[in-house]
Amino acid sequence: MNQFITAVLTSLSTGAIYALMSIALVLVWRSTRVINFAQAGQAIFTTYIGYEVTIRSGSYWVGLISAILSGALLGAGIDRFFMRPIFKRVTSGPIVMIAPVVATLALLGIIQAIIGFIWGLNYQTIQAPVSTDGLKIFGSIIAFSPFNLMVLIAVTLSMILLTIVFQKTNIGLALRASAYAPEVSKLSGIRVDAVRTLGWALAGAAGGLAGMLYIPGSYLYPNAMDVLLVFGFIAAVIGGLDSLFGAVAGAMILGFAVNFSATYISYKLVFPTAFVILILVLLIKPSGVFSGKKGRKD
Amino acid sequence: MLKFDTSRKRLFGFLFLGWILLILSDRIGELRQYQGAFVAMYALAIASIILLTGYSGQLSLGHSALMAVGAYAGALSINNLKLHPAIALVIAALIAGLFGLLLGYAAARLSGPYLAGTTLALAVSLPTIANQFPILGGEQGLIFDIGVPPARLGEDFSLYQWFFWISSLTALIMIWLLVNLISTRYGREFRALRDNPIAAQLSGINIGRKKAVAFSLSAGIAGLAGGLLVMLISGVSPSAFPLSLSFLLLAGAVVTGVYSLKGVILGALVLVAIPEIAESVVSRIGGSEGFVTSLPGFMVSALLILTVLFAPSGPGHLLHHKKHLKH
Repeated sequence: MNQFITAVLTSLSTGAIYALMSIALVLVWRSTRVINFAQAGQAIFTTYIGYEVTIRSGSYWVGLISAILSGALLGAGIDRFFMRPIFKRVTSGPIVMIAPVVATLALLGIIQAIIGFIWGLNYQTIQAPVSTDGLKIFGSIIAFSPFNLMVLIAVTLSMILLTIVFQKTNIGLALRASAYAPEVSKLSGIRVDAVRTLGWALAGAAGGLAGMLYIPGSYLYPNAMDVLLVFGFIAAVIGGLDSLFGAVAGAMILGFAVNFSATYISYKLVFPTAFVILILVLLIKPSGVFSGKKGRKD
Repeated sequence: MLKFDTSRKRLFGFLFLGWILLILSDRIGELRQYQGAFVAMYALAIASIILLTGYSGQLSLGHSALMAVGAYAGALSINNLKLHPAIALVIAALIAGLFGLLLGYAAARLSGPYLAGTTLALAVSLPTIANQFPILGGEQGLIFDIGVPPARLGEDFSLYQWFFWISSLTALIMIWLLVNLISTRYGREFRALRDNPIAAQLSGINIGRKKAVAFSLSAGIAGLAGGLLVMLISGVSPSAFPLSLSFLLLAGAVVTGVYSLKGVILGALVLVAIPEIAESVVSRIGGSEGFVTSLPGFMVSALLILTVLFAPSGPGHLLHHKKHLKH
């Protein structure tokens, strides 16, 4: 019974972190039609900033906020000063097809190298603000800590906030409209370029939050988020790449599948399970499990 | 006067190149021989990426994993089946090709970013899977020993020269076959489905099958290159095939111009030269350990971005284009 409760709780908290990464990928995909492989680099870079601030100020919370803000700034900057020139320059020839993938990958390489220049490659730790020791339930300790609980609460809060922004504000309407029909939105007076940059900023902020929530339970090094990028991508594909709700649901499905196969069969099955799920979704329903009506097609 | 058709001219070109390499191998030091063997291995691996991306229009970030498949297959056939190293390399190519065929059928249904993400997931997850079968030797991996060079080559014939010979010969033969293949009907069909899949389909090309065949061919060549790689480092382990290897190969392909096989040697030279250049930069200006380790990655990435921005079809194409304008 305890094992079951632990598996459920761990699934929820890992699923929550996958959800942040997959939301970041989906936000960029909706606005730019690019899978942003540099997301792993952006997230880890802003986490390093959060780490630096945490050490200097002595407070995790200040570090968390600066990671989120710098994530947003970095995301917006990358769209404005990196992606936009590339799209503007590379418009013809067969390279167009692979240019976005190659560009984001190269950016990932550059960011990780810059981290190596500044902070080195050694493993660092970020001290969690609350205990990372397992909670006591029914007299026995389970592998779910107050920090995991905090992760769950933080992610839920940010999801609620994001939903409010998307559903209740004009900015959210603009974000949805320019993802759904960019040409029509442009004609209705939405500054599609600015909205696109905003999408990148939101994605960057989600990445920074993901890093600050994931790293205290792990280690900080330049490649620490690569695996999360893959899991975030798989979650986004399960959800259909286009839907924010789908991204969260996909992340939860993935979190449960991975943790349950690890708990009940073997911890070695984490990657195989995730990969098999990805292949199955792509073969059976490539548009994603949660894709309802047909959206923009390209 | 003798008239040579293109394919015969090409054959003579490759024979000439082989002859030059043969002479060269006696004149250069052991370090250069070893590096030359790496250049040949990278050239072969880059050729597999160019076949896939440049000719059939599919993008793979999983070629490090496919190389690993070939390398493990080769190591197992030497260690457990006691086969001759040459046959082991053939098996490496065949098993990786078979694996690529399975993957290719799934991949044929995916477009751009989906395919990139899926092959990325493969590259990240396959090494961890390799850890879980005791027969694959876990984190330490397996040894890959092709033995000493044959005695009849003389006493001062070093192991590195032997590596250089094997690597260059394999790469030359395979790239020659590839160049011939893509100038036939198959090559035209590949290009057709890259440039306009719908028109290709209307002309009676079975897109799914062609893409799967291209993926399988590419995977086979990658597997062979993987076999050569582990021969050069005399062992196969998960850490020999990191995601960054896939990235490096893609970079090599883009830097050479991903739509032509002509420049593979150039791309391979760049990949071998960059760590060396980085080292000489470091020895001049110094720097922390993090700087030293991160510099090659930085240079490759920066070169990649510059290529995409300023010479999207590769430097060779840039020259060609300029020449064309003068006429």
